[in-house]
Amino acid sequence: MTDLPRVRPVSDGVRDALTVVIAYIPFGLALGATLASLNVDPFIAWTSSPLIVAGASQLVSVQLLSEGAAPVIVVLTALVVNSRHLLYSASLAPYWRDWGRGTRAAGAYFLADPMYALAIARYEGRAEDSTARLRYYFAMSLTAWAGWMILTGAGVLLGAVLPESLPLELAAPLTFLLLLLPTLKGRPAYVSAATAGIVAIIAAPLPLGLGLIAAAIVGMIAGALTERMQS
Amino acid sequence: MNEFLTLVVIGVGTYAMRAAFLVGREAKPPKVLERYLPHVAPAVLAAIAAPALVAPRGEISLTETLPALIAAAATWLVWGRTHQMAVALIAGLGLWWLLLFGLSFVS
Repeated sequence: MTDLPRVRPVSDGVRDALTVVIAYIPFGLALGATLASLNVDPFIAWTSSPLIVAGASQLVSVQLLSEGAAPVIVVLTALVVNSRHLLYSASLAPYWRDWGRGTRAAGAYFLADPMYALAIARYEGRAEDSTARLRYYFAMSLTAWAGWMILTGAGVLLGAVLPESLPLELAAPLTFLLLLLPTLKGRPAYVSAATAGIVAIIAAPLPLGLGLIAAAIVGMIAGALTERMQS
Repeated sequence: MNEFLTLVVIGVGTYAMRAAFLVGREAKPPKVLERYLPHVAPAVLAAIAAPALVAPRGEISLTETLPALIAAAATWLVWGRTHQMAVALIAGLGLWWLLLFGLSFVS
């Protein structure tokens, strides 16, 4: 019988991750089905899930392989598409400072888009000690990771029998919108999101997913400028 | 086998980017970036979501963009009320299907 908020980082982490996994069902199944339909052995295509843990670049790389592109082109394309992870790495560093090196190295493996979004929302939203942060992160990211393996695997296996009647193209962008919303705290966040969104739409035709990283950088600068004007 | 090796190399490279600022003796982002780090999340997530929200199936047009944006607004609204991600997603997707269904009669 206390008035203190109950701190349950592990169960919170599992619950938040399951919500994201549910939201990812359409995207994960569709990605798995696409992987299985290409000109690459379905099991090898699926291994992109544990190897890369990043849906968009898994799709791009397996598609390129299926078209017979040179390995060096495939690798460079996928790594440019994945360059945003450098920003995630820098962004979480202050929060992981007190963890051991091995723990940080293990945590980095799971640092995909939804894991980053949930972690940063949690860390910015409440003051927790580093043990609670660690428990939340690993409970959440292990759950989300397992979900991604299962969803993409199910997509590979069920690809042929998935109904074509329901369009699911909007599931992934709506999921990312829902990961974005909790980060919109204060004017700088709104400005950086709006700027990045507009630039990303304009720069969408750029090759290699360069529009994404360009938009992210412009958005971050806009956010920093807004913050400076406020203070 | 070659295909598998290519995926392994991409995996190693992606891990290196994720680990870049996290596995040194100290987890420390570069000083240059410090002012910008608070804005990583809103900027990157909006940059991922926005192009696919205005062109969910690859084209920007009234009949493609408007239903998607209405669905996105509904998703935002439901999330604001419930803070339930899954509920908001189902509401947004459901509304999008209804709008597409309605459009298929009109056109």
